[in-house]
This record gives sequence, C-alpha cells and structure tokens, in this order.
Amino acid sequence: MFFVSELIALLCVNLIFTQALGTSTLLVAARNKTNFVAIAATITVFTTFGTMGAFFIDKIVPSERDYWLLICYVAVIAVIYIASLFILNLISKKFFEKCKLYIHLSAFNCAVLGSVFTVHNKSLGYDDFGFGDYAFFGFQSGIGFVLAALILMAANKNLNSSKVPASFRGFPAMLVYIGIISMAVYSLK
Amino acid sequence: MISPVIMCGNNIQNAFALIYAFSIITLLSVAVASFIPKKLPYAIKITAYAVISSFIYIPIRVLSSEIYPDSIENIGIYFPLLAVNSLIVYQTEVRFFKLSRLNMLTNLVFYIFGFDVVILITAFIREMFGSGTINSNVVDIDFIVSGISQPFGGFILLGLMCGLYRKIRAISANEKNNTEVK
Repeated sequence: MFFVSELIALLCVNLIFTQALGTSTLLVAARNKTNFVAIAATITVFTTFGTMGAFFIDKIVPSERDYWLLICYVAVIAVIYIASLFILNLISKKFFEKCKLYIHLSAFNCAVLGSVFTVHNKSLGYDDFGFGDYAFFGFQSGIGFVLAALILMAANKNLNSSKVPASFRGFPAMLVYIGIISMAVYSLK
Repeated sequence: MISPVIMCGNNIQNAFALIYAFSIITLLSVAVASFIPKKLPYAIKITAYAVISSFIYIPIRVLSSEIYPDSIENIGIYFPLLAVNSLIVYQTEVRFFKLSRLNMLTNLVFYIFGFDVVILITAFIREMFGSGTINSNVVDIDFIVSGISQPFGGFILLGLMCGLYRKIRAISANEKNNTEVK
C-alpha cells in the first residue's frame, strides 16, 4: 500500500506529465534500454546536483532581479556538465566515449533547467526550505523522469508498429500517449 | 521546445508573448553564436551557446515585462526555458553552422517562422474550443472542451496536429510524384 501511494505521489509531482518538462529528452530515452539507463542516470545526477547548486544561487540573487537566475543556473549546470565529462574521462576513457553522448544530451534541457526553476518557485512559498529540500526535489524529479521514461518505453514498440497509421507512427502517437497518461495523472491530482 | 507550447500555448495572448521571446532570442543567439570558433571542443561550444542565449534573455525579459506584463506572469518558468531551446544549443552544431552565414540565417528564419505558426495555431484552437474566446473576445460556439486548455489537451492536440501535417505532406508528395510520372 505504501509503495502504491508513493508511486501515485511520484506521478502527481512528475515534471513530464504535469508540466511537460523534458518531453523531447524523454522520447530519446524511451527508444531503447541502453538509452533509457544512460539518460535516466545522467538526468537524475543533473537534476539533483543542479537543484543543490540552485540553493546557493537563490541565496545570492535577490528575488526582484529574477531575470539573472537563468544565467546563474546555466553557469551551475555548465560546471556540473564540464566536471562530469572531466571526471568520467579520468576514470575510464572507454566508459567516457560510451557515455559522453548522453551527458551532452542531458546537460542543457528543459527537464534539468525546469526542475531547477520549479524548485526555486517552490522555495518562495516556504521560509524553511533548506538545502536538503532542494536536493530531495532534484532527486525526486530525476526519479519522476525515470518513471515516465519507463511508462513510455513499455509502449514504444506498439506506438512504432505497422498497425499504427504511417502518419501517426512514432512521434505523434507518442505525444497522444503521453497526453492520455497526463490526463490520468491530472485526475489523480 | 514542446513544453512552452503545451503549457502556455492555450490562449493567443500567451502565444504572442512566446512568439516574441522565442523569435528574438533564437535569432540573436544563433547569429552571435556563429562567431564562436568551430575548433573549440563540443562541450565548450554548447556551453558558450547556452551562456550567450542566457545573456540575450535578460534585456528581452525586461522588455517583455513592459510589453506583455500579464502573459509573462502566465508563462512563468517557460519563459527562461525558451532561451535554452534545442534550436540554439544543439541544432546550431548539427545543422546551422554547417551552412554559409546567409543560408544559415535564411534557414533559421524559416525554422523560427514554423515554430511561431505552430504556437499560433495551437493557441487559437485551444482558446477557441477551451474557453470559447478568440484573443479574449467571446465567440458564439456551442462546442466547449475545457480539457483542451490543460497540459494533457496540449499533448493530444499537438500529437494530432503533427499526424495531420505528416498526412498532408505525404498526400502532396504522392501527387507531385504522380504528376512527374505523367
């Protein structure tokens, strides 16, 4: 019962089904198992560390000058991006060659930046929204992305099959499918 | 790039604000980014593109607050997300910077125009059938589907529009082939 209620909670705060953040990246992740594992892991790392960095940015940038937030968040993500490439290259060149494509794809996208901006907005409503809350939100966003990718991957084969009319095969069918899941999540909320 | 259309493209006023922001930020960012040396490592280049567009976003955001104050409030976090769109960060490398500067700018203008048309059509349909208004003016329409204004309605409508567009393209390609054979 606990697992079911946690799953429902995770779906209700899902950035993809409720806010449409990171849809394009999700479609790439759902194509096959290799993409799924690699993108899901890198997105979770980026959202978690990105929101952790956002905690410090939010302390520095005054709320009336919020148009500076984007450049600051981009700088944080750029640091994580370059650092992750550098560390992977140090650990193993072979592994780096395998993973770099997924890191490039996961760095500057709506899923990561969207979760950073969402946690910023959320923090405005609370006085005691601390570092742990930022980190937890980022991690939760990453797990939400994994869950959404898993749901989409399960239907990927059928949505690309010859039974679907050629014009709707692939991307359009995926969008309609995400829309239907999103409708179910909307009713859960 | 899909998220602002799905979340904020549910009325024409928002659509105009999105079009204004997306068009100017993308055009200026790609034009400025084209001066970045091609020999730099890929990671440095795409970071630089994101930084450039984030800087260009600042004056556009300040101006938008004057021109579209209500829409900026509605668009919320999707406004800054427009600035780091895939057209600026990734498509520049894959597509635009392989062309000559004039060709690149022509291509880019058409890409931007295509996106703007999609936002406008989506917003028009969603506002008309979702709220029974066009640009906040009430229209005499009996068929209201309020769900179309919600994110799930946006996903479904965009999926259907995409399928329809592909179908039209396939039909016109077939007709062109038939005429050539004749």
